[in-house]
Amino acid sequence: MAVKVQIPAPLRSLTGGQAEVEVDAADVGGLIEGLDRRHRGLKERLCDADGNLRSYVRVFVNDEDVRFLKEKATPLKTGDTVAIVPAIAGGACAQMS
Amino acid sequence: MRIARALMDQILGHARSGYPFEVCGVLLGRNGEGARRVDRVVAAVNRERDSPRVRYEIAPEDLVRIQREGRDEGREILGYYHSHPDHPARPSETDRRIAAEGLSDGVVHVVVGVERGERAAPSAWIFRDRVRAFEPEPLDIE
Repeated sequence: MAVKVQIPAPLRSLTGGQAEVEVDAADVGGLIEGLDRRHRGLKERLCDADGNLRSYVRVFVNDEDVRFLKEKATPLKTGDTVAIVPAIAGGACAQMS
Repeated sequence: MRIARALMDQILGHARSGYPFEVCGVLLGRNGEGARRVDRVVAAVNRERDSPRVRYEIAPEDLVRIQREGRDEGREILGYYHSHPDHPARPSETDRRIAAEGLSDGVVHVVVGVERGERAAPSAWIFRDRVRAFEPEPLDIE
């Protein structure tokens, strides 16, 4: 299943600057493994030591958040678009001295 | 970071109108040669429910939509902005901690301090993974 993966700018040092890469995978977990085989180090940035998606990483398949699908078992089909986006949050509390 | 005066006024106006709550948004541009130049600003909804006066969150689904619209226009996400009502215009420890956990290397953050809903002052920062901290980014308002 060839799917297009949109890579956020902070990870492009691992993809040789490519903003979009194509990977063959049957599900999101396989996609992450496939990405890591081609672009070593990506899995570590996306997943924790237990292999779960990091809390500040969001993966979308065709605009659907995989947290609300089957997480890493979310199936993929040819032509799907996968977007990796950071969780953006913060705020003035705990202001630095 | 370079940005047109009208776009910076859009950010500052959003920060003032949202007071006393934090506001947030996305900075888009074409990340080409030389300095980053923001040529579109998209206001986002602050999805923080518990403490929106001192916290903000951009919903991931909003970010995916803004990213897709930007790509359709040939633009990339260069960074983000948020306000600090009655707090200084610089990243907080909360900002730093979350950026360090996430995917933030090389991403610009504009932080707007807003005093009593009136005076709004921006500053720009860029997060660096190698030091796990924000570094000041020159802000060139054209």
